Amino acid sequence: MVFVLFALSVLIFYLTRGLLPPTTALAPYINPRLTDAGKLSIARAVGVATSSCPSFSDFAALQKGCVTPLWTQYFFWLKNVLVGNWGYTLLPGISGTESTWSVFFGRFPYTAELDIVAAALTFIIAVPLGIISATHNNKAPDHLSRIISLGGYSIPQFWFGAMLLLVFVLYVRIGGLGLLPASGALGTTCALCFSDPGTITTYTGVPLLDSLLSRNIPYFWDSVVAIILPALTLAITSLGLLTRIVRSNMMEVLRQDYITMARSKGLKERTVIYSHALRNAILPAITVAGLLVTYLIGGSVIVEIVFSWPGVGSAALVAADVLDINFLELFVLVAGVIIVVTNLTVDILYAVLDPRIRY
Amino acid sequence: MNQSNTQEGGDDVLSIQGLKLKFHTYAGEVSALDGIRLSIKKGELFGLVGESGCGKSVTALAIAGLLPPNAEITGGGVFLDGKNVLALKPEEMRLARLKDIAMIFQDPMTYLNPVLTIGSQMAEITRAEPKLFIPTLVTYRLKQIEKQLDSTKPDPGLLAERESLSRALGSQSLGRKELNLLTRSYAISILKSVRLPEPDKVFTMYPFELSGGMRQRVMIAMAMMRRPKLLLADEITTALDVTVQAQILRLLKDLRSEINSSVLLITHDLAIVAEVCDRVAVMYAGNIVEVAEVDELFRNPLHPYTKGLLASVPRADLARTPDSIEGSVPDLLSPPSGCRFHPRCPKAFETCPSKKPSMIAVAPNHYVSCFLFGE
Amino acid sequence: MKQGEKTPARSRRRHSDLRFALHLLRQNPIVMAGLVISVATVVLALLSNLLVNGAYWHQQDLSLRLCWNNPAFGWPVTNLFNCGGSVYPLGTDAYGRSLLQMIILAIPIDLQIALEVVASAVVIGVVFGSLAAYMGGLVDEVILRITDIFLAVPWILLAIVLIVVLGRSLTTLTLAIVITWWPWYIRLMRSQVIGEKEKLYVERLRMMGAGWPRILFRHVIPNSIYPILVQSTLDIGSVILTVSALTFIGLTPNPLLPELGNLSNQGIEYFFTAPWLIIFPGLTILIISLGFNLLGDGIRDIFDPRLRR
Repeated sequence: MVFVLFALSVLIFYLTRGLLPPTTALAPYINPRLTDAGKLSIARAVGVATSSCPSFSDFAALQKGCVTPLWTQYFFWLKNVLVGNWGYTLLPGISGTESTWSVFFGRFPYTAELDIVAAALTFIIAVPLGIISATHNNKAPDHLSRIISLGGYSIPQFWFGAMLLLVFVLYVRIGGLGLLPASGALGTTCALCFSDPGTITTYTGVPLLDSLLSRNIPYFWDSVVAIILPALTLAITSLGLLTRIVRSNMMEVLRQDYITMARSKGLKERTVIYSHALRNAILPAITVAGLLVTYLIGGSVIVEIVFSWPGVGSAALVAADVLDINFLELFVLVAGVIIVVTNLTVDILYAVLDPRIRY
Repeated sequence: MNQSNTQEGGDDVLSIQGLKLKFHTYAGEVSALDGIRLSIKKGELFGLVGESGCGKSVTALAIAGLLPPNAEITGGGVFLDGKNVLALKPEEMRLARLKDIAMIFQDPMTYLNPVLTIGSQMAEITRAEPKLFIPTLVTYRLKQIEKQLDSTKPDPGLLAERESLSRALGSQSLGRKELNLLTRSYAISILKSVRLPEPDKVFTMYPFELSGGMRQRVMIAMAMMRRPKLLLADEITTALDVTVQAQILRLLKDLRSEINSSVLLITHDLAIVAEVCDRVAVMYAGNIVEVAEVDELFRNPLHPYTKGLLASVPRADLARTPDSIEGSVPDLLSPPSGCRFHPRCPKAFETCPSKKPSMIAVAPNHYVSCFLFGE
Repeated sequence: MKQGEKTPARSRRRHSDLRFALHLLRQNPIVMAGLVISVATVVLALLSNLLVNGAYWHQQDLSLRLCWNNPAFGWPVTNLFNCGGSVYPLGTDAYGRSLLQMIILAIPIDLQIALEVVASAVVIGVVFGSLAAYMGGLVDEVILRITDIFLAVPWILLAIVLIVVLGRSLTTLTLAIVITWWPWYIRLMRSQVIGEKEKLYVERLRMMGAGWPRILFRHVIPNSIYPILVQSTLDIGSVILTVSALTFIGLTPNPLLPELGNLSNQGIEYFFTAPWLIIFPGLTILIISLGFNLLGDGIRDIFDPRLRR
């Protein structure tokens, strides 16, 4: 696990620092108002300029002997990563004295909130869909649920989000306002919104949690109303995989002998399906959690843009435009950590839940 | 399809009349059962013997209502204690499986859920319909309490329990926790009666922790818990070693007298039939060809197939090697016409391919389906 | 023995396999629909230059931008700009071009990118996957670890970084997507070859003294490649989704390019004044990828041994 993260860091480092001029890499660390000498000393501190480099302009011109070799740069870079020093943000609209780290983690809770709600929705919709598909194999409910899951898999995320906006913001209007808010994490201009929800104290950065902790119910409601459409977009487009796995697992399990045995004992069909079949079918399905997380994080980028959601996904795009490499690197590494940890958790969970592996 | 719900035949626990069954497969229609007739008396250990693929397991599944969706019953009836099982609604059939018909299968490894403990797989039986089991559970526990009260001095806790249990018996209701506790002690006693060592430990174990023989005993225990009228045992010893086989058979015999169930023992092994059964039916390609008491069948086999079967059993007391029956089991997609055995029968003559022989009583309690003995 | 056996065993098995496949296909009108859509898409792509002038997308007429004059339906948009003149069935885009014609031009471009991506991914996947599986040991470990690394990142982030670093062009777009797809093909091919190399004929070839390149490339690969080819044809739909997602967020080489995601990019910018700009290109993407995915799902079901009766 650690190896994968380490190798990932090398890959990202090479892609960004190795393929771009070192001056780009330096940009987040330099305050433009510094003197040349000041810039050079920072360049040395960050590890891209050698100590023997005469001046900053020489370094910028990439004079021989001024730029440290790549692998040295890597170690400096790694040191900064582990310490949490990601330089200053280059994102427009934010004062240049904010660090990349604080900007990223200021926005991260919003993405996390969106992804977690979407994951919950995916699960809630996909599992019953898969079960129904399996128990009514090749009959109408099966066909319908396969269309839904396959449809979700084939729908462009931006299009689905736009369609939801079209219906719930443009078409369904009450009193001159759309039913649900069009953008942002807090809905104040919609038919179902509280137009003045007040304020909350920030405990975790996640609006849903913070508003509950601050006991501000209108704020909570407005946050819920705002998260419905983007989370639904993410969920509908992600549930295909989970549905298919639950369906095929259930179909295989229902063919097993112990299911016949359970029926022969006179158990209710509901007991057979849930206590026996689902229990066995759901276990291999959790291995897809890592894939789901990957898909959700990636999908947030698109969905956040469509709904102007203040998370790291929409910021990533802006970062790409202004070449704020540090932001993107941080994003990639954080995503990597999350995915690796998820996979590890799934492995452990699997061992815990399957008695055969425990012994 | 026979729509009558009752029939005559007083003390028969099971009576199958002219049951016809076919499977719809992508390759065509398989005629699995061709009008079989069978009856089992109360408390009888009845053997159903035949080669693989002759339809024995299918018969059991038809009785228990566990046929796969592509099976279609095209004629006949199955009567359990006089009631037509085939006419039952699914919910009634389920209750019948819970209380009246218990089935034990061949391979206890695949027929037990690997991720649930033995205990939970036994407890769910009573949880399915608690009302049905309250009398049994409470009576058992009351007996336990009586025994304890006799041996030690009166314990107020036990007395209080006896009180509340008697009340529960009267009101036919039981709290969830109480149900679980009673089920547990009852189940452990059943595990003990099937001669499992350390039954309370077995209760908490998973199937893969037990040996094949132990798992088979667990399956028998799960059937015993319900005190069924009819026990269907489908090749229950085939997957076991010979020594374990003998133990299981002995267990079956003892239990049968204990709870007075009838047993339909399905097997391909004539030796087992000889060992434990009272009566036996021989089955071939979806037909019953001969029915008789065990001793009579072995002494005086009538049907050529039965004779062939007996001749093919290796015998230590005779010098010769066993004969085998020529040919192979027919493809039931397009079975032979008339008597299905005629292509392999050494005594076949012109009537045989033309029509199906009916079951004739050659002696009281000895029936054959063969033109050699009449039309 | 005359027992009702009519045909010899071997041809009966072939019959029954085909009959089984047809039986499943008949049970599945959805797969038929997928097949029809996929074929229609390819035909439309091939005919696009006959329907629309290939150079159409270069022209701009800003006086006609973002207008809608199709009387068939309207939009809940205030100040809907109705341009006079000939009817634009799907309205115009931000540069005043007919959206319908742009979509027709875009289909072959998207399909072509998808084919390039899939072809490259297949080649890389086949080569490295089979090498990993066949050589085993260190080679296998290294290749496997490398795929692990790429699978630990959401594909879109990797693609963004790559395009930012390498610049925006159709080539880098294709490259970015290939780099996120080949791990899957490597793994798929690897598992196929692992199964294949255990077969008896490989042992025999080895005993006859054939060198490993010959065994691998002449025998093992052609025998294991079938599922990958099936998978790749069906991935075409998913790749189109991927491409359009990337151009949608703006990583396109040329904002004028007729490409479905590109058109949607304009669409999100002007969503509240011209929603058709995102609805119709997106719908096209949906239909195309649905077609390929339905087809793929069905074929996968037919060939999945676990689901056979």
